[in-house]
Amino acid sequence: DSHIQYERVGADVTMKCGSMDWDAAVTWTANGTDIDESHLNGSYLILKNVDLSQSGQYSCYEGSSWHLKYQTYLRVGTPPKEPVLMCRSNNYPKGFYCSWHLPTPTYIPNTFNISVIHGTKDMVCEKDAVPKNRCHIRYLQLFSTVKYKVTLTVTNALGKNSTTVTFDEFAIVKPDPPESVVAKPVPNNPRRLEVSWQNPSSWPDPESFPLKFFLRYRPLILDQWQHVELSDGTSHTITDAYAGKEYIIQVAAKDNDIGTWSDWSVAVHATPWTEEPKHLTTEAQITETTSASTSSFMAPPTTKICDKGAVVGSGAMAVCWTAGLVVAAYSVLFI
Amino acid sequence: MAAADSPSAALRRRDLCSRGIRLAGKMRADVVDLLDAYVEQQGLDASASVAAMEGVPLAAVERWDEQTGTQRLQENLAAYRAFRALLAQMLEEQREQLGEAEEGLGRALAAVLLQVSAFAYHLEELLRLESRGVPGEEGDAPPPPPRLSLFEQKLRGLGVLRELAQWAVRSVRDLRQLAKPSPAPGAAPGLAESP
Repeated sequence: DSHIQYERVGADVTMKCGSMDWDAAVTWTANGTDIDESHLNGSYLILKNVDLSQSGQYSCYEGSSWHLKYQTYLRVGTPPKEPVLMCRSNNYPKGFYCSWHLPTPTYIPNTFNISVIHGTKDMVCEKDAVPKNRCHIRYLQLFSTVKYKVTLTVTNALGKNSTTVTFDEFAIVKPDPPESVVAKPVPNNPRRLEVSWQNPSSWPDPESFPLKFFLRYRPLILDQWQHVELSDGTSHTITDAYAGKEYIIQVAAKDNDIGTWSDWSVAVHATPWTEEPKHLTTEAQITETTSASTSSFMAPPTTKICDKGAVVGSGAMAVCWTAGLVVAAYSVLFI
Repeated sequence: MAAADSPSAALRRRDLCSRGIRLAGKMRADVVDLLDAYVEQQGLDASASVAAMEGVPLAAVERWDEQTGTQRLQENLAAYRAFRALLAQMLEEQREQLGEAEEGLGRALAAVLLQVSAFAYHLEELLRLESRGVPGEEGDAPPPPPRLSLFEQKLRGLGVLRELAQWAVRSVRDLRQLAKPSPAPGAAPGLAESP
């Protein structure tokens, strides 16, 4: 006879050797290793205060013949704690999904049962193949004020537990983050960055259910973000970037009318356009050092700021003047 | 149908839809604020469930995406006409119950009532544009309301404002659908004849 036996952590377990009498001579093994007689009471195996490491295959053999008389697989675990359940609509108005997990493992198999009630109507939440702890449901009605009530029950051989969440249709709408975020410098514009992105592919109908966006950006060397909210379009030009500084940029999305903001998108990095590095001239070095009282950022030695040969604006002087402005702008970061 | 598809009519429709969307958006924001004030001043529990009440148009709809443009306009118009009457009734009840004491709430109710009336008119304009004809209001007149207790009046008011807030969102969505350019005649999703 071979079967599975579930016991709680900390329990005392007594195993009988099948139909053998109490006083029969037997040998017990655990995962093939003989168990010391001190754990026996007659032919019964006594395991006190079991822990997870004692899970395994237990076998009982008749004393002299070594015939296998009984075999069981002991699984030590715990009854389930209250599960964590969340529901969200990232594909409004098609439907929503619910996902769950246990706050601590039980170490034994669990089954999950989910029920969804809308008013008096029972709805079926179809389990996803992947991930396993998720199910999805199609909206049968839109714009309802009646709340949805979702109850998840988790059961295992040692007990059960459940949790319920209640929400209305609008509250759980949360798109996935925008996709394909791209940030590029703008040629000849040292303070601009062009950012573009796409609607999340999971959002089924952005034309009828447009998203609005929140853009945040900061130079890598600063902690404070700048924010811009955009009610339409999937691009934006940052016009106040610090010249030459590498920026980190992220975008979030929200339905124009309901729900909450998505998580932030994957971060992208970009540095505004800077003039082609040229060899530093003596004048340029003097310009930098005389500006030191308001500037603590020094261009790396290979950076070429003033080049009489460069044509920017109205000529080389414009270049040097521009460079002076750039250097002054850096100073803001370090005051 | 030909009139509805002419370029000028299409432009006018888009313009009316855009303005309607803005109206509905503002109306919704004001209704949400009014709802908060109403719950507080009436001593209600914001999370209380209110059963559907007779005469309060429910925003909930099945197969919303399959509705024709005409259905959308007609259902919206019927709803806002009903809300116009319901809000007028609420305003009257407010004045009876509280007199001058809750002027703020009364003013907010009156402001929303004005917006609801304006939006209903806007919907009539859209229906006229589509040469659908505007349904008369005689058939829409709600039956005389049963005499409700004070508490029932408050709950009803809560239900009215909640549904109105939902309708405002639905109206924005409906108008966006209407504003979509029509495909080939005979297959227009926004303004096709209802099947």
